[in-house]
Amino acid sequence: MHYPIGLLFDLLASSSALPWNITVHFKSFPEKDLLHCPSKDAIEAHFMSCMKEADALKHKSQVINEMQKKDHKQLWMGLQNDRFDQFWAINRKLMEYPAEENGFRYIPFRIYQTTTERPFIQKLFRPVAADGQLHTLGDLLKEVCPSAVAPEDGEKKNQVMIHGIEPMLETPLQWLSEHLSYPDNFLHISIIPQPTD
Amino acid sequence: MEEDEFIGEKTFQRCCAEFIKHSQQIGDSWEWKLSKDCSDGYMCKIHFQIKNEPVMSHPETFTHGQTCLPMEEAFELPSDDCEVIEAPAASQVIKYEYHVLYSCSYQVPVLYFRASFLDGRPLTLKDIWEGVHECYKTRLLQGPWDTITQQEHPILGQPFFVLHPCKTNEFMTPVLKNSWKINKNVNYITSWLSIVGPVVGLNLPLSYAKATSQDERNVD
Repeated sequence: MHYPIGLLFDLLASSSALPWNITVHFKSFPEKDLLHCPSKDAIEAHFMSCMKEADALKHKSQVINEMQKKDHKQLWMGLQNDRFDQFWAINRKLMEYPAEENGFRYIPFRIYQTTTERPFIQKLFRPVAADGQLHTLGDLLKEVCPSAVAPEDGEKKNQVMIHGIEPMLETPLQWLSEHLSYPDNFLHISIIPQPTD
Repeated sequence: MEEDEFIGEKTFQRCCAEFIKHSQQIGDSWEWKLSKDCSDGYMCKIHFQIKNEPVMSHPETFTHGQTCLPMEEAFELPSDDCEVIEAPAASQVIKYEYHVLYSCSYQVPVLYFRASFLDGRPLTLKDIWEGVHECYKTRLLQGPWDTITQQEHPILGQPFFVLHPCKTNEFMTPVLKNSWKINKNVNYITSWLSIVGPVVGLNLPLSYAKATSQDERNVD
């Protein structure tokens, strides 16, 4: 479904050894379940659409709309050609926020679990509380996906994974958004069952 | 920019409820569906439509337009019936399914839809683009990927076509401001759907607009 490959790995195969062996099918495309990937243009459009949605949440679309077409193109080309500096020259502007605020307006995130029909959870969530305290990853989960977090005295049932690692639940969400977002500026978070050793 | 009119999720749900109430009164078959976890929902309507471009091997029977399928895939018709079409072949009837969801990122409604032939074969994005009404074609051609794309339905997880929401506020703000200037009650969903629906073949009977304005003082 046009998901980043790292997300797919975390969600579906995190216990597999690398390299990840996959099976490619050339027949019987599952029309009802998967998006087609007709061209590179389609992927670029999808990527830019995610970027725009992320900025709608972070800055009411002000930063991305102020950019020129060539800046948008630079984001895509930087990603496509694996040019870190080219990408970040523009992307850093999407990671800024006004001096008088303590963070973005809302945090772009999606939480994925293979156990639900809903493909992901996405809601409005502010990085800063009314009293100025920074919300944490744990605060986010408690609010939008309480079943993912183990009760105080209970056993840890799930792993909360981003980019293959389990950040501490005390990590401020604003920090995660600035430093651990995927290139599309979203935090793609996987909730997977705790592996039994 | 600061004057843009957004709607919150509660307002969205309220407008949908009013919209569906009228739909039930006129037998228009819009329904409200809840997500499995019941945390949110969407409006849904199914309707059937005969595809505009008949695909036949006799060019003089074309009224206009393009064929979407190569000739080898033309529908089977008995050769002596080529002059007269009494009923459309089953494969020319298209089932459209329209869903109206709320986007919390853009704080506007979004139109999702999918289309298939009666045998279950889905229409492709190319078919959809080609089916867009002539008067919207220019806009579509300027930026097809910014206008109608295929995406994952946020509640069902299946592929749907989507009319991109990022420009919604641009056209809704003047509509709302104008209505409020003349003290008119407006159902956001009715106004919005009457603007975006026709782009993808969804038309609203006029009675929806009249239903909303029943409360206003100046009735025509």
